[in-house]
Amino acid sequence: MWSHEVIMMIVEGIRDTLYMVLVSTICGYILGLPWGVVLAVTDKDGIRPNQGVYSVLSFITNIMRSIPFLILLILIIPFTRMIVGRSYGSTATIVPLTISAAPFIARMVESSLKEVDHGVIEAAQSMGASIMQIILKVLLVEARVSLISGATITLGTILGYSAMAGTVGGGGLGDIAIRYGYYRYQADIMVVTVILLVVLVQIFQFIGTLIGTKLDKRHA
Amino acid sequence: MSIIEVRGLSKTFSTKENTVEALRDIDLDIEAGDIYGIIGMSGAGKSTLVRCLNYLETPTQGTVVVEGNDLGKLTDKQLRDLRSSIGMIFQSFNLLMQRTVIDNVCFPLIIHGTGRAEARKKAMTLLETVGLSDKAAAYPAQLSGGQRQRVAIARALACDPKILLCDEATSALDPQTTQSILDLLRTINRDTGITIVIITHQMSVVREICNHVAIVENGSIVEKGLVEDIFTHPKSRAARQLIIEGKDPDEWESAQDAPAKADAHTVPILHEDRKIRIVFSSNSSFEPVIANMILTFHEPVNILKADTKDVNGVARGEMILGLPGDRELQDRMIAHLKERGLAVEEVE
Repeated sequence: MWSHEVIMMIVEGIRDTLYMVLVSTICGYILGLPWGVVLAVTDKDGIRPNQGVYSVLSFITNIMRSIPFLILLILIIPFTRMIVGRSYGSTATIVPLTISAAPFIARMVESSLKEVDHGVIEAAQSMGASIMQIILKVLLVEARVSLISGATITLGTILGYSAMAGTVGGGGLGDIAIRYGYYRYQADIMVVTVILLVVLVQIFQFIGTLIGTKLDKRHA
Repeated sequence: MSIIEVRGLSKTFSTKENTVEALRDIDLDIEAGDIYGIIGMSGAGKSTLVRCLNYLETPTQGTVVVEGNDLGKLTDKQLRDLRSSIGMIFQSFNLLMQRTVIDNVCFPLIIHGTGRAEARKKAMTLLETVGLSDKAAAYPAQLSGGQRQRVAIARALACDPKILLCDEATSALDPQTTQSILDLLRTINRDTGITIVIITHQMSVVREICNHVAIVENGSIVEKGLVEDIFTHPKSRAARQLIIEGKDPDEWESAQDAPAKADAHTVPILHEDRKIRIVFSSNSSFEPVIANMILTFHEPVNILKADTKDVNGVARGEMILGLPGDRELQDRMIAHLKERGLAVEEVE
């Protein structure tokens, strides 16, 4: 049962899962961070309110957030194929994961940036800081603890999605759990993969909290 | 020409439901080197007024001219550049909590393109000025309120501004810390000639440090001039309440609503007595005037209120006296006080 092949398969599963989750999160932030910044900046209490931009962007964010991941996964298969050349395997799964993570991240970033004390922003404005300087040197810096905690939550969510992608040949631990646990009734392998997923979430959370605490200078 | 000229300034805030007229037809001239107080109760519009002076709030009407620049006519970039010559400090300090003290002070320099090494050198000098050079590496959360305001002052001075705006800068501090911050502001004003505009609701702050004052009530300036003049002869209702009754502006409304409560501020005395308010000026404050008067007339007077203080190196203050019953004696006492250079007026 616990042959060399099975163990190797699980190790590869862990590797694939980490690969999908980390790359998707990075790509998700490349899209979602500026997106969230624009949302926070153009909102009516933002530093450059613009109702038109905010409404359109917010509407798109909501639409994308409301498509269930499994549907999105199938819906964008042609697009995935166009980008990576095929629609199965862990690299292909990164495309729908990124697309579903980006609006989620955008909302996370938006809410983190809105937590920044308005007085501090006003102080920066009174010194003559430009919009860009306020974003880069005030908002993103002052909100960093909240941003890190948002990234930790995002990692956990994407990990869950990546397991879901296993049902359609997405690769990684979720894929193994479905193939062995569900189709071949090998519950022991499924239990092991589930435990491994739990352990991964715990590790992400631990690292996220550690970095967050380390970076937080708001307490004496 | 004044360093700050405000003409016909009005500011209206409109929401879907209603419009609020925060400021109405404000004219203000602040001369270079002044310490100018703007006092009023909360909601009077003074915070909006100070934000119009650096265009953090754009006036609905009127002009603000700072060092000859009409702020309304500047481009975004020009306005941002001009702001480097207008420092500002706040009630809640508004420091960057995730940056060290020295990085906070460097911040305005960096955003205006000063190199890092040079900015740090400048910041260290400023921290010495405010007496916090040993806290350079600390984070704001590790400092007390007074220390945080000192950091904010150092930061506001980083770009060598001509003007320093203080928005309720001492309102969150205890009296002793307030005193030390005011001393610091006065020293900086004396040493650099910087113009300071102080928004406050505490008359004590104005008396302590300002040479000019404007009293704001319901979005309008009801009285303005030299602190000395307004203190000696307050004309407006707001000024009289502020100075004679010694009420903080926060209490103005409630005092109107509840006259019974207002009476609690003065000690009740015999009803037939006449009350006078006397104001001490520099020439009389070293003489024990009241004691001498009592010795001269062999009649006691009742001191209902006394508040004397050293202002800008000159002793100044006021008293409210209850005079004994005899009308003729009262007049002689008043004449006696006037002879000694005191401003005397009757109060209710």
